[in-house]
Amino acid sequence: MTKSPLFNKGFQNAVLSLALKTIKLRYKNSFLGVFWSMLNPLIFLTILIIVFKQINHIEHFALYALTGLIFWNFISASILQVLTSFIDNAAILKSINLHPFCFPLSAMVAAVFNLLLTLIPFFVIMFFLGYDLSWSFLAFFPFTIITAIFVLGLGMLMGTINVYFRDIQLLWTTIIPAFFYFTPIAYTPELLSENQRFLLKLNPFYYFIESYHDIFYRSAMPSYENFGMSLLLAILSMAFGYVAFNKYRKGFISNI
Amino acid sequence: MTAIQPMIRLTDVDICFYVQENGFVSMKDFLLHPGKYKLLQKSFVLKNVNLQINKGESFALLGKNGSGKSTLLRALSGIITPDKGNIELFGAVAPLLGLGVGLEQELTGIENIKLSCALMGMTKAEIKQRLPEIIDFSELGEAIHWQVKRFSTGMMSRLSFSIAIIKQPEILLIDEVLSVGDLGFQQKCLKKVMEIKDNGATIIFVSHNFEEVSNMCSRAALVNNGTVEFVGTVKEVGERYHHLFDN
Repeated sequence: MTKSPLFNKGFQNAVLSLALKTIKLRYKNSFLGVFWSMLNPLIFLTILIIVFKQINHIEHFALYALTGLIFWNFISASILQVLTSFIDNAAILKSINLHPFCFPLSAMVAAVFNLLLTLIPFFVIMFFLGYDLSWSFLAFFPFTIITAIFVLGLGMLMGTINVYFRDIQLLWTTIIPAFFYFTPIAYTPELLSENQRFLLKLNPFYYFIESYHDIFYRSAMPSYENFGMSLLLAILSMAFGYVAFNKYRKGFISNI
Repeated sequence: MTAIQPMIRLTDVDICFYVQENGFVSMKDFLLHPGKYKLLQKSFVLKNVNLQINKGESFALLGKNGSGKSTLLRALSGIITPDKGNIELFGAVAPLLGLGVGLEQELTGIENIKLSCALMGMTKAEIKQRLPEIIDFSELGEAIHWQVKRFSTGMMSRLSFSIAIIKQPEILLIDEVLSVGDLGFQQKCLKKVMEIKDNGATIIFVSHNFEEVSNMCSRAALVNNGTVEFVGTVKEVGERYHHLFDN
């Protein structure tokens, strides 16, 4: 067994420096900077308010939709960034002695940092849409760590396979729009009849988005079911992701 | 006579590449018959390599393209772990495997120094301490504050060479990187390498420029088809190396 690199100061610095680089590059040379990260959810929000409000008869539907959109964007985008992190850093992987766990981890750190950055202006909008601030807001921080672990594990699992079969990357970008409609973002689960609702729960993203709905839309702590399932999924995803990564990383250099 | 002190010792080292060759078919077999099929096929890049390089030596690796020299250097720098056998290193290694790797075009020279040093495993404090030294050696002056995309190729090599060399290595691995940049820069690099060598460091050198090799190195090894075929003086190895090409 090799010692975990996580406790190595040099490794930590490498992860943070790579993450910082990603953030810097994203916003360098653009006037509107963070605004671009906000634009996509705002456009979608407009569509959802105009069209989907007609079938969703709930209070503050705009807040419901915005919450879903922000965290859906976070989850789907960061999975893709983690997934491609090995290939994106091929040159470094081949010529610098650095534990390859650094790449997915720094992609994840950058994504979380980006989320926090965009959340500040979104917060203002959420208040306008009827968000009722309560102590349950604090659940956001630990829950986002759980979400990040889930994303990191799943992204690493797919990223590892993607080194050998580049189809994974294409497959993921193809099915992710379908998952958008499979997850309650544009509609509430109540729209489906009682005996159809179990279908939604087959989707792992359901529990994460619903937990965020609990926190920001219902101003409550995540329900036991949503929180428990999210935690379980995070642990499973990380276990599978790390085991696959560790087993197949020996071939990275010959396949990238 | 000073006692010979080993700096690098490789014992029965095997290194394999793992490639998937059958595309989708191998994925199908792998998933449908768990345990029966391997997802990746093994192929040997280096087989049964035994080599000892001593302290203070300049050692050259000669061989055709694709014979496994670069893989050997990657193994020595810890990027690849051997599948079998042992690699013992008796000092800190600095690999010069590709100049310009990890340089980010949009960032400035200084930002790039910090990033590259971090990737090399240095802590924030170490980087802060070494920063002036690196800037000084690169002789880039004001340009250090420019974005690297405005650098010329030579300037970029200067920057990355200055970064790579900073750790005062005891073992320096050089993979055909000294042939970049203008003449002045080449000479400066060469001088620096010599200086590091004079301080007692061990240098391992991969190059196809035989003249360069014979100027710098005393001993050499011939790498062919993934094995170390012969170890001897540069002259002896050079002759065998040239023999490989006459049919």
